[in-house]
Amino acid sequence: MAAERLLDQRGNSPRPRYTLVAILSGCAATAIVAGLIVVGSRRLSHFDAALVGYTFATLFATFGIVYRYTMWLHRPPTAMYWKRGWQVFLRPQALPRNVVLWFKRLVSVFLANSFIWKRSVLRGAAHWLIMWGCLIASGITFPLVFGWIHFEFANDGFDDYTASVFGFPLFSFGIDSFLGYLIFHGLVWASFLVIAGVMLAMRRRMRSRDALVLQRFGEDFLPLILLFAVSVTGLMLVVSYEWLNGYAYEFLSITHAVTVIGTLLWLPFGKFFHLFQRPAQLGVLFYKDAGARGEQARCARCEEPFASSMHIEDLIEVERQLGYRYEMNGSFTDHYQRICPRCRRVSLAIAQGRLWTAPAAHRNPTDVTHG
Amino acid sequence: MAKPPTRSLDINQQFGPHLAYAEGIRLDRGVEADRQVKTHCCFCGQQCGIQLRVKDNEVIGFEPWEEFPFNRGMLCPKGVKRYLQGAHPDRLTTALQRDSTASGGFRSMPYDAAIRHAAEAIGRIQSDHGHEAFAVLSGASLTTEKTYLMGKFARVCLRTPFIDYNGRLCMVSAGAANKKSFGIDRAANPWSDILGAEVVWISGANVAECAPITTNYVWQAREQGAKIIVVDPRITPLARTCDLFLPVKPGRDVALFNGILHLMIEHDWLDHSFIEQHTVGFEPLAESVQSWTPARTAEATGIAERLIRQAAEWWGTASTSFLMHARGIEHHSHGVQNVLGAINIVLASGRIGRESCGYATITGQANGQGGREHGQKCDQLPGARDLANPEHRAHVAKVWGVSPEDLPQPGIDAYEIFRKIDRGEIRGLLSICFNPLVSLPDNNFVARMLDKLDFYVAIDFFLNDTAHHADIVLPGSLHEEDEGTVTQIEGRVIKINQAVDPPGDARQDWRIIQDLAAALGRPHGFTFQNPRAIFDELRQASKGGIADYSGITWEKIEKQHGVCWPCPSENHPGTPRLFEPGSHNPIANGSGPFYFPDGKARFNVAEYTPPTEEVDGDYPVILTTGRVVSHFLSGTQTRRIGPLVDQYPEPRIEIHPQLAARISIADGDWTTVTSRRGEVTLRAQVVKTIRPDTVFIPYHWAGAKSANRLTIAAQDPISKIPEYKVCAVRLSKASAAPQDAERFEIE
Amino acid sequence: MPVPHDYLFFIDPNRCIGCESCVQACSECDTHKGHSMIHLEFMNRRESPQSVPVVCMHCDSPTCAEVCPADAIKRTEDGVVQTARKPRCIACNNCVLACPFGVPKMNTREELMMKCDMCYDRTSEGKRPMCATVCPSQALFFGTQAEIDRLRPRSRAINDFQFGQQKIHTKVRMMVPHDAAIAHIDVVDAMCADMGEDDPMLSAAVCSLPIVSKT
Repeated sequence: MAAERLLDQRGNSPRPRYTLVAILSGCAATAIVAGLIVVGSRRLSHFDAALVGYTFATLFATFGIVYRYTMWLHRPPTAMYWKRGWQVFLRPQALPRNVVLWFKRLVSVFLANSFIWKRSVLRGAAHWLIMWGCLIASGITFPLVFGWIHFEFANDGFDDYTASVFGFPLFSFGIDSFLGYLIFHGLVWASFLVIAGVMLAMRRRMRSRDALVLQRFGEDFLPLILLFAVSVTGLMLVVSYEWLNGYAYEFLSITHAVTVIGTLLWLPFGKFFHLFQRPAQLGVLFYKDAGARGEQARCARCEEPFASSMHIEDLIEVERQLGYRYEMNGSFTDHYQRICPRCRRVSLAIAQGRLWTAPAAHRNPTDVTHG
Repeated sequence: MAKPPTRSLDINQQFGPHLAYAEGIRLDRGVEADRQVKTHCCFCGQQCGIQLRVKDNEVIGFEPWEEFPFNRGMLCPKGVKRYLQGAHPDRLTTALQRDSTASGGFRSMPYDAAIRHAAEAIGRIQSDHGHEAFAVLSGASLTTEKTYLMGKFARVCLRTPFIDYNGRLCMVSAGAANKKSFGIDRAANPWSDILGAEVVWISGANVAECAPITTNYVWQAREQGAKIIVVDPRITPLARTCDLFLPVKPGRDVALFNGILHLMIEHDWLDHSFIEQHTVGFEPLAESVQSWTPARTAEATGIAERLIRQAAEWWGTASTSFLMHARGIEHHSHGVQNVLGAINIVLASGRIGRESCGYATITGQANGQGGREHGQKCDQLPGARDLANPEHRAHVAKVWGVSPEDLPQPGIDAYEIFRKIDRGEIRGLLSICFNPLVSLPDNNFVARMLDKLDFYVAIDFFLNDTAHHADIVLPGSLHEEDEGTVTQIEGRVIKINQAVDPPGDARQDWRIIQDLAAALGRPHGFTFQNPRAIFDELRQASKGGIADYSGITWEKIEKQHGVCWPCPSENHPGTPRLFEPGSHNPIANGSGPFYFPDGKARFNVAEYTPPTEEVDGDYPVILTTGRVVSHFLSGTQTRRIGPLVDQYPEPRIEIHPQLAARISIADGDWTTVTSRRGEVTLRAQVVKTIRPDTVFIPYHWAGAKSANRLTIAAQDPISKIPEYKVCAVRLSKASAAPQDAERFEIE
Repeated sequence: MPVPHDYLFFIDPNRCIGCESCVQACSECDTHKGHSMIHLEFMNRRESPQSVPVVCMHCDSPTCAEVCPADAIKRTEDGVVQTARKPRCIACNNCVLACPFGVPKMNTREELMMKCDMCYDRTSEGKRPMCATVCPSQALFFGTQAEIDRLRPRSRAINDFQFGQQKIHTKVRMMVPHDAAIAHIDVVDAMCADMGEDDPMLSAAVCSLPIVSKT
């Protein structure tokens, strides 16, 4: 956003073209998902018409997410990382190792959330529970809604179910079996995880002073409330048909639908969007690997290595694209980006200190507008 | 016979120093403090106001106290992290008894048994060898109430003349010179008088590191146009941007002051009417500085002549000024002479006793001021009264309910007490708030003396390095576990408030002293119920004295954010600035502003003598010692606070590149410094900010890292302050890192 | 009650005494307890005790935010550039390298960039930032323009900085001599000033080097 504003101000914004690309990408993605629904449900034969609201919400979310993702990818720093991330990942000599590393990092960073646990155990637990709850629930819900998965009685009897994916039978299990119990109550287990995670997150948001001063309703509370509402209304549905003979089932299913649809519609806008941005972390890790193996940039002032040369060159290009003019013509180096952070800190203070030690008559460099 | 445990690593593992960091409840952002207690920092003499955040009897953090006028929220890093000394793993929560079989060399014992044991040992020594065979060492970081009680305890309960305190290492040169010149020992001005000074002269004071808050006062003066003159052998952070830096050779300050006075006389930069009306003794002084020509001054001080002339001109022609000094000119075998020299140029300028015209010594310890006024100094009684003066004895004896004849005569200074141990005249010792094994010069000697004692009982909250040699250790109280008053750098009496209760068997120090008095069978006069009761008796004991606290109440302190003594009655507001016309002065009684019967200040001839130990072929380099910003004194507290240790983990030898080149030492090299008394091996820090003929080592560390293994036990003949600031050493590159280098600080 | 809008942050590195009070106090702030966001740099301890506390200058057009690929750094309405949003920051280090003042810190363990947010937790409750409150030299000062004009008559505040051809305007101000005829501080200008020259201060020390045998 900031970059876009800056570009606007400097009058060279290529924004309209990006927007068109993003709209087209969004439409394409939506069409693909719609097509998959038709195909996966065997021309809608397995599609449950009652779930049409969910479907349209999903299609809207798909458009929104892809639109925003495309816009995001066009920002110069993101584009640079996107491009470089793939380049360094796909380098032939590094590819086998990268694939192995990719799986390792997928597990440690994404499946285990190792970096969040390091911030604090409770934070780690909260995030991990919410994430796994949502993953499980999505893994069940979307394929079911789209008709990508459906269950049929197997062997012409009523004792076994066969699960079909995209219309292809995959495996069978006994209705009363433990596996069956687990599968049919998958959403219940997911709800439990989400509710526990939301509770932990809420606790932190309500007592921790850092959260108290920084949090905002839309950014921080609304996602938790939505997840909580989805989980609780879902559980109430289960309670209704398992123990209350479907008491208020209609009302509850509409309420549940409203919460789910609301959440889906919110996906592209708020905090949930980090789901789609976050994988860039993997690209960063490979970028850092490649940088560490490559040539190191030495600070033009202290001559100590401080980053990879690739990173510095890329930043110079990104800054140029963003409209910054950190070029240092006629100086001891061509670009301010070649100065390490410590020397930047020190140089400012030296510059200020020199103003104080210089005799008043000499405090008079070229640029004089003070008055 | 007390013997230190042989396994010093063992004792360190048991009793520290371990490093405390913020963790648990102190790091939990969800914890709200139950309350915030307005109190003061436990470290230096500035006594910055601070609010401690308390939860469940634990100090969990701090909040600046912006309303307190001295520091208005400002704090140095020690103040910021001081809260980590509470709930510390090294905290003593039981009494300890030496037991070589126990891990760490001590075993816990019940508090009452420890008191009984100590009282029996004291009784035995005193009945076998006389009252005078037992000595007391106290400290100036205690509240005034406690220091008062310590003096009373030694003289009334133990009936020994041998009590002295660690202000002997700190304030005594300034105190003695101030009494000789002004008749009173207190900073003459509040710090607000710095702000309007045209010239601020700072001699021998690393303000930025040892009194950091004062920096803002100096910078504010500069913003208003003041010229800052700094005299120091090192370019301290404050010196870096001062207007005139005089890189004095250590131990030559009096020569500089005499040379300045010489120039003031030569150019007639004198306040003749002030000298005539308010002083005596100028003529002999003028005569004595006649020989201190700029050339001779330059030669003696090692300062270029033109700078001396410049300083004299600025000082001489100013219309307002503030002169400050600290241990840099006081820690000398002629420390009193140095201070007299400083006071002479103040008096000759006539710039004292008025707004923006000031003079002060920068107190080192928390209660450096209050701690030297109420009777724990070997020659002093409460109210800055004189133990040798019959009238003073009679007044205090009456308040104490004893006969004046029963009060012992003046005793001896803290170092002399160790010499008496050497001679077998003192056989038992009680210490509180004093860590002589780190803080006294030539501390190899001190260690031997501690082992020579028949019995040594120490009171402390951590097992300090000296207490390693104790037979019994009684668990005392941290600053935040008790209440009372303290008198800070400006002579302002302020109130320390209790934030938490002492843990386990630990007791407030005044209770421990009273328990000992009771166990000794002499409880009379030691049955106070609380510090306020002690303070009320102190007010009576100080009434009519120079340090008159009789009009100070805790309520008034709170209302006024402190009360400056003298304060002779409850409706008296206190005396922030001394020597003003009409201000309270019980000695002059209206005849003049100074504290002599004629109301006139005294010029004293300040005699120059070189340091006791001059450099020579064998020991060619001057060693000077001092402090760093993140540590305090012997480090008992700050070496246990993780973030402060991280900031300055180990002592280093500051050495100029020219000198380093001569002995082929590079930055970071292990370097052995040897004096006639001992040696230490530390890493070198090669810097251009020190005179090339001088090296510097900070003194906060114990054992193999202790600068005071090297320093000389030469003392000022008047104040008895040791000469920490100059001795002769030689340096050599160490062939290897010292043994246990990697375990220097046990974690 | 947040602090009034006319409260500004002023820095005068020339006052700094290197005590690190700000560094120690910063780690007591609630938003990042246990981590200090301030860099305290000694220029070159061998040559001089000169030091500088570096807090965020809060640029109007923050390079850190612009170069962030994850959109993790936001600037508030009142011009405070906030620390990275935790869900977004991917620890790429762009901000650390690109900030012209060298401010952001990378917490590698937690894979998170952290930077000074002008004590948002304190200012939102009407308290002054921790570092400026405790700073014993008041090299860091938080107050109104009128206050600083009154307290520091020989200084004036400037908030334009030049880095090569790039000018950066900041919310935080830096004190320069009142009579310095400049409109901005040129950072690059001083960059290669020789720190190795002999300090004129000690050249006034008259002393002969001790004769030291090397054995």
